[in-house]
Amino acid sequence: MANSIETIDTNIDYRRRQRLGRLGHKAVILFGALLLAFYALAPISWLVSSSLQTEAEIVSVPPHWIPDEPTLQNFRAIFSAGEDEPVTYETRSGADPVSGGFIPSSASSLLPSMWNSTIVATLVVILNLLVGVPAAYAIAKIRYWGRNASMYFILITRVIPDIALVVPFFLVIRKLGMLDTIGSLVITYLAVTVPFTVFILVQFFEGLPDELDKAARVDGCSRFQAMVRVFLPLSLPSLVAVVLFTFLTSWNEFLLALMFTQTEASQTLPILLASFTSDFTVSFSFLNAAGVLAIVPPVIVAIIFERYIVSGLTAGAVKG
Amino acid sequence: MSTRKMVHLGRRDFLRTSAAAGAMALAGPARMAMAQGAPLTMHTWSAAVDTVQSHLNAFQEETGIQVNYGNSPWAQYREGMVTKFVGGAPLDMMWVSDSWLPEWVEAGWIAPIDDFDFLMKYNAEAEDFSTDSMTYKGRQYGLTYYTDYMAFFYDEEKVKEAGFDAPPTTWEEVVEQSLVMKEKGISEYPMMLAMAQESWLIEFMSSLVFSHGGHFTDDNGDSVMQNADGGAVQALQWVVDAVNKHGIISPACVETGELSGLKAFASGNHAFAMVAKYRLRMLNDPEQSQIAGRVKQAMMPMGPDGDHSTVGWMRFHGMSSQAAQDPKRAEDTARLIEWFGGKANGEYKFQKLLFLDIGAGFGVKPLFDDPDIQAAYDQYGDVEIIKAQQAIARKKDVITPWFGEWNEANGTAWQQAILGNSDVASALAKSGETWDELKSEY
Repeated sequence: MANSIETIDTNIDYRRRQRLGRLGHKAVILFGALLLAFYALAPISWLVSSSLQTEAEIVSVPPHWIPDEPTLQNFRAIFSAGEDEPVTYETRSGADPVSGGFIPSSASSLLPSMWNSTIVATLVVILNLLVGVPAAYAIAKIRYWGRNASMYFILITRVIPDIALVVPFFLVIRKLGMLDTIGSLVITYLAVTVPFTVFILVQFFEGLPDELDKAARVDGCSRFQAMVRVFLPLSLPSLVAVVLFTFLTSWNEFLLALMFTQTEASQTLPILLASFTSDFTVSFSFLNAAGVLAIVPPVIVAIIFERYIVSGLTAGAVKG
Repeated sequence: MSTRKMVHLGRRDFLRTSAAAGAMALAGPARMAMAQGAPLTMHTWSAAVDTVQSHLNAFQEETGIQVNYGNSPWAQYREGMVTKFVGGAPLDMMWVSDSWLPEWVEAGWIAPIDDFDFLMKYNAEAEDFSTDSMTYKGRQYGLTYYTDYMAFFYDEEKVKEAGFDAPPTTWEEVVEQSLVMKEKGISEYPMMLAMAQESWLIEFMSSLVFSHGGHFTDDNGDSVMQNADGGAVQALQWVVDAVNKHGIISPACVETGELSGLKAFASGNHAFAMVAKYRLRMLNDPEQSQIAGRVKQAMMPMGPDGDHSTVGWMRFHGMSSQAAQDPKRAEDTARLIEWFGGKANGEYKFQKLLFLDIGAGFGVKPLFDDPDIQAAYDQYGDVEIIKAQQAIARKKDVITPWFGEWNEANGTAWQQAILGNSDVASALAKSGETWDELKSEY
């Protein structure tokens, strides 16, 4: 009996066991990664798949992940933007038996609204940096009376919920004669994004040694030059985080856009997407086609800046 | 008592009162500018945008009156309009839901239109419930452009497969046919009922109550929903039994919205459904429905003490109080209302266009005789049934300034009963109690 146990012990292939263990470990990681990828990608896959289906196919049970009869009708409706001629009884989209059924008559407004969203988001990003960077630099590196108070004051503005700001904003915008203009969105979005920008950048700038600032000043830099030539190049990850936050906030913002815009001239993408769910007709497939287009610009922006995102968001989180 | 009143300051009240002072200060110049011949402003929700625009362009060409047209999503329309009203935004004509009428009137945002005889003449050809629905405290506030009602649809193929020659005419028969379908494996939950907390819920509940011969309130506006013989109790009991005892309605109905329910019915999951009548076109469209061609309309099933009554609703063109203050502007706005809600060049053009384009119901009876309308209906429905059901549709009896708050409490009470967390009598007693409290406060 003892001999047999000894024999078994000596026959154990530890290398093989180690290899198997490593393989198992990798398999678990792979499985977990696949599961996570599926969890993250399944909604996007369904979004793309259903955008290529007819409304009848999209409600079929079980759902078709791969369309039986793929169609581009939803995208065609979006890209067949009408001319600028006035709509008449004859040219209205509702008269078209194909599109009148369930594709919203405002489908061709999607591209103009994307353009509006792009302009708004871009302007907000640029103006946000122009205002936020100097403010953050000043708060972080210049000692002045009321410095902490100004920081807290900026932060307090973000404590107020947006819904409470709607009516005051509305009154101001109306008084300025800016209702139904892109400018109204740019102004109000800046009020939302600048405090966050200042907060993030102050944290980052404070993490950079004051000696850098002093050295730059000794070398003849003005405050502005020190900020532009020394601090900004070092702050790239934080700036990217701020740009992303600002862009995505502006791109997705709904409440203020709902209140201030009312025509194609200024309506942004979230408003138009919501308008496709009218009280008469709703097309899931069309909504998903619009959704596919809506996520393209943010995804492109995210891909471009991807490598900076994590370092940017954690910037200033731990002080050394 | 006083505590209750203090707590009562809701979000809407807060928005209204907090903005009122600022609005008064800032709105003055805008009002003056409006009075000096600026174009009219018309705001709607984002439905049939092209149809509206085409009809509006024709109006401008015909009258020379210029109109700025804007729209917002339906789901957020009310909130957006409240902000526009309190913020003094330029507004002359807007779309109004019958559910908001008392609130908007009491807030002084919209004005009656019954001083304009050329608008009132259209009442003679309108459905009574439609006219009633835009009347508040004896004044009429607009002309309808869209009117519809809750309809009962069935999948003819499934009914025949279950061995029945005709659709159910009573709620008892709905149970009977559904149980056979369950037994034969035709459908797990033959009846589709959407009872999620959303704006549609009151329409579903009202049609159930009306068809059981009941009311939520009496002629004095006092609650009767809790009365054992009032019909509401029977209606809710039927739903509770259908879910918990017979299993013919999914327990998930409390989370199913009208749209999800519609899509589920369109996918062939159910045999019976209560949805808005205008959905019939979509349900029989092969491009949008798996059961196209099989969906028929039956009269609303009736309860033991009820009839085929159902609930009707409508949307209308209203005039803002801003516009009403200036006689010329009010006159122009009334002409715009007539163009959309009445006749344009001798015909109910806009209601007809809406019907032909998107299947939206109309509230004027002569359109049922229009050959184009009949031809369109023939493609997917039975115009006689549609007409007969519309003739006995009734307006909701709970539309009051406190409707929004009560509706939430009432919806929760119904859901609690359906889920078995409370019995039917207690749920409706609570609902009635909430109604009486709110009524006394307002």
